[in-house]
Amino acid sequence: MKQAKNTQTVSVDDVQQTLYAKRQKIHPRKVSGLFAKLKVTSVLVLLGIFYIFPWLQWDGKQAVLFDLPARQFHIFGLTFWPQDFIYLAFLLIIAGLSLFFFTALAGRLWCGFACPQTVWTEVFLWMERMVEGDRPQRIKLDQSPLNARKFRLKATKHTLWIVFSLFTGFTFIGYFTPIHDLLDRLYPFSLGGWEAFWLFFYGFATYGNAGWMREQVCTYMCPYARFQSAMFDKDTMIIAYDEARGEPRGSRKRGVDYKEKGLGACIDCTMCVQVCPTGIDIRNGLQYQCISCSACIDICNDVMDKMGYAKGLIRYTTEHSLEGKEVHILRPRIFVYGGFLLFLLGLLIYAIGIRNPIQLDVIRDRASLYRETSQGLIENVYVIKAINKDSVPHTFELTASGIEGLKVVLDREIAVDAGSVLDVPISLVVNPNYLTDRATTISFKLTAKDNPELSNEEEARFLGPNYR
Amino acid sequence: MSKPELKPVPQIQKIIAVLWPSFIIAGMATVGFFTFFDPVQLLHLEVSNEAAYSTGFFIFWLLTLSSSLLTLYFQLPTHYIPPPPIIDQSPDDL
Repeated sequence: MKQAKNTQTVSVDDVQQTLYAKRQKIHPRKVSGLFAKLKVTSVLVLLGIFYIFPWLQWDGKQAVLFDLPARQFHIFGLTFWPQDFIYLAFLLIIAGLSLFFFTALAGRLWCGFACPQTVWTEVFLWMERMVEGDRPQRIKLDQSPLNARKFRLKATKHTLWIVFSLFTGFTFIGYFTPIHDLLDRLYPFSLGGWEAFWLFFYGFATYGNAGWMREQVCTYMCPYARFQSAMFDKDTMIIAYDEARGEPRGSRKRGVDYKEKGLGACIDCTMCVQVCPTGIDIRNGLQYQCISCSACIDICNDVMDKMGYAKGLIRYTTEHSLEGKEVHILRPRIFVYGGFLLFLLGLLIYAIGIRNPIQLDVIRDRASLYRETSQGLIENVYVIKAINKDSVPHTFELTASGIEGLKVVLDREIAVDAGSVLDVPISLVVNPNYLTDRATTISFKLTAKDNPELSNEEEARFLGPNYR
Repeated sequence: MSKPELKPVPQIQKIIAVLWPSFIIAGMATVGFFTFFDPVQLLHLEVSNEAAYSTGFFIFWLLTLSSSLLTLYFQLPTHYIPPPPIIDQSPDDL
């Protein structure tokens, strides 16, 4: 991304100072307006999903549960197994591509409205504001020496933050351990060591990232922030200050004809800087630190309204449109990203659609090659693993083919619960007259008795004596 | 127009550059590894899967962390800026 347009040369002294100076704490001012409302909506929806999902039930079980001990992921009636890793890989590729697509189209929408860092920071800021007040009060408080009031306010804020963080950590582990059970074991506290560890780990990460680190996460930790410029072009939507209209900036009284005074529309009130959560001045041009949160648009529109000027001195626009050139929304980049995205999405839906919920694994008994029964038949012993990934239990019928007269000997029913595996020891017997080779490839077929369309096959080898 | 100079890398960025990428890669490695290997079958140990996954994650993190640390370490400059060359002067110039 382009650097600030009017960057001053940095002297050696400045460099020394920035090396050793502590980071300037940023106190974003409260904003209201269209984009602020959109952001609140986005925060409520996304956090709602995060905090409510683990409590939802589906068929009497937790709807979204990543059951690590059982090595199964349950997502609304679908059960995913380690064998389904490919779907996860697909999903991640699709998520990555959507990021490409939306970035090319609309810039850093993700950063400003959907990124967990933004969403949680917003909530933490809201708590901070509730306790300590808006920007001027917070700056004053931070500058004042420690006294009873400051201690009380800071303690209240951190208590709120910590409680909320622990609740977040609790919700997080609720995705991996049934959350109702977890709640029961919270008081008296009897969580397992690792459960407790991850609860505090995730809670601490939330507290640290949303309370303390904030914009530094975006600047230093986020890989997307670093490479998003690769997806940008001059037709990508960005938040920009209309320099042509705004400059030369300067203060003036309301109602004064600024054009006569030789001024632009910017009254240099610095509100856009005060609301910025990353502490930049949008008037310096497109900057890597800008997370496109649109706070400066909202506040500047307010100011323009008060001054009786037209809105949109800072607005969503494109570089081309700022330069007065034609804007192309449909461009090769969009078609390439969009095409790939649609293709992969289709493929994923198709793959999940044709996913066979029945799986069959056959393991030969390694202890013996074959056995001759008292009736003179040749017997081979196997363990079959019947895997039912379906959401309802099934009873199965097992057949084998490949040699004439091959018979499955089985002493129980193969009834497998929804999302379970059943190991069944079985044996196959055959009349040796039909055996032509020492080893014959045979095929097992597992069919659901209630639905013959649900079936799967697996090959195995049948061993016998050498007759010829 | 000359390119504007960038500020030097602050300490916090170095700390994050070691801890954070190693964390992400360790997480991905853990998911990948345990997708294909069930710790209970692999180790025949009497540990819960949670303990195995968590320990596995921290072992991965230790490995990736060491790599990140070494990268940072090897990035330290090795050459001194040479002092300005001595220019011949005659006593008359002084």
